[in-house]
Amino acid sequence: MFKGLLTTLKEWAGKPVTIQYPEEKRPVRTRFKGRHVLKRYENGLEKCIGCSLCAAACPADAIFVEAAENTDEERYSPGERYARVYEINMLRCIFCGFCEDACPTEAIVLGDNYELSFTDRHQSIYTKEMLLEPVPEGGKPTPQQTPPGVYVRAVPAMQDPQD
Amino acid sequence: MTSERKFIVPIGPQHPALKEPGHFEFTVDGEIVTDASVRLGYVHRGIEKGAEERSYIQDLYLFERICGICSHVHATAFALGVERLAGVEAPLRAQAIRSLVAEMERIHSHMLWLGVAAHEGGFDTLFMYSWRDREIVMDLLEAFTGNRVNYSVNLLGGVKCDVNESLRDQILRGMDQLEKRIQHYLNVVTTDRTFLARTEGVGRMTREQADLFGAVGPTARASGVPRDVRVDAPYAYYSTVPVRLITDERGDLLARFVVRINELFEAIRVIREILDHLPEGELTARMPRRIPAGETISRVEAPRGELFYFVKSNGGEKPERVKVRTPSLCNWGSVMQVAVGHKLADMPMILAGIDPCFSCNDRMVQLKRKDSQQWMSWEDLRQYGIEYYKKVL
Repeated sequence: MFKGLLTTLKEWAGKPVTIQYPEEKRPVRTRFKGRHVLKRYENGLEKCIGCSLCAAACPADAIFVEAAENTDEERYSPGERYARVYEINMLRCIFCGFCEDACPTEAIVLGDNYELSFTDRHQSIYTKEMLLEPVPEGGKPTPQQTPPGVYVRAVPAMQDPQD
Repeated sequence: MTSERKFIVPIGPQHPALKEPGHFEFTVDGEIVTDASVRLGYVHRGIEKGAEERSYIQDLYLFERICGICSHVHATAFALGVERLAGVEAPLRAQAIRSLVAEMERIHSHMLWLGVAAHEGGFDTLFMYSWRDREIVMDLLEAFTGNRVNYSVNLLGGVKCDVNESLRDQILRGMDQLEKRIQHYLNVVTTDRTFLARTEGVGRMTREQADLFGAVGPTARASGVPRDVRVDAPYAYYSTVPVRLITDERGDLLARFVVRINELFEAIRVIREILDHLPEGELTARMPRRIPAGETISRVEAPRGELFYFVKSNGGEKPERVKVRTPSLCNWGSVMQVAVGHKLADMPMILAGIDPCFSCNDRMVQLKRKDSQQWMSWEDLRQYGIEYYKKVL
């Protein structure tokens, strides 16, 4: 019995391991696979080119992409096409990160947000507006008007990604 | 007269002993169980059929989600099978990382079981402490792979995540911490008088019984059956870093505790050894998109026992048939026999003793119907599903 009490006393002196969740949040690791984020370039153009490779790769058929043509007057992303509709059904998504691997432009990244809750099935579908990250500082919101002949290349030159 | 009248205690499908659905019927005489039967299949998801509609790489992620606890071994088993069909061998470093994650997963699975089993035995303090310490390995797995469960480490032909220096140190530090705690739990489990009263001599399965009913994994090893796929047919990195076989002759619940806790020490030792001698090199080998026609089996040792995969390819991008046989399913037969002669109050402990995983079991649905039609065709099942959801929504 004294041994048991000793354990109790030891734990009593220690720090509690529980976290008061909504007020206090647990930090996530770098490799954590949370809610998807659609990235932008520094100038505000969207990285997603609407190629639907993520939708094809998705084991759970959670992604729906509909592409449309870019023009220099109304440019959303470099290259010919952009994603007019980009929807992820968070009830279907299994957070495996295969979309991230499939993406040729590193447009879709699994972020660090794990607070996905909704009260309605229809709310589980995250649209492009919800997924797209805010325009970075110095960038312009899409659609942008761009000079012709600059953004012809859809897939940028990239380094080998780490983490 | 006594033989005519039977009292059957139905338990489940909701919340029988664990937090998963399964239905048990115990025939009791007073409070002694005289017969036991189990009905499974409440969480059947049609994964094997779903796999036939998806490409090999997509299937890898799908199979990983058969079980939330031992997800990595499922993917490993499938990847090993497909790699054998394609004639590709994963690079050494990838194999080492596969084994590394598998052992970390074993730690997390066994600690989860330790908590659950203690909880069934009414020892909630042990349950909470062991789950608190399980967070150490869960955090390491999150840092390593990005997910706490369903790691998605495997790829066909290799692995996705690499270990760098800081992660290596983190894991080693975590293991040191865990080893101390596990030693403490071993002391508690083997010396606490109240707990021993619940485990010692309860649910004893002899070696003959274990052989007869085809028990696998720690359940079989606790009855003295020297059976472990990692030792018998080493896969991944286990041929380079051999695993010591841990058995116990007693065969009761206590033996299952002791075997599983000792396996934790062994897992920690293997993790340290792998991290100390991590081979350099590539993470993936090139895999063809189309897998050559053929069929193969692969076996790996999941935390609960031997996991078996059968993969048949017809030369296309999608498998023709994948059969999964999970370890929990093999252990049910033995536990139903062992239950006879024990008190009803011991049933939760005996059930929890095999570390049952219900989502692993549900590879097939058998319908109990009044008419003779036991089987449904694919079309019938599809129609049934459509009608069912029309009613629900």
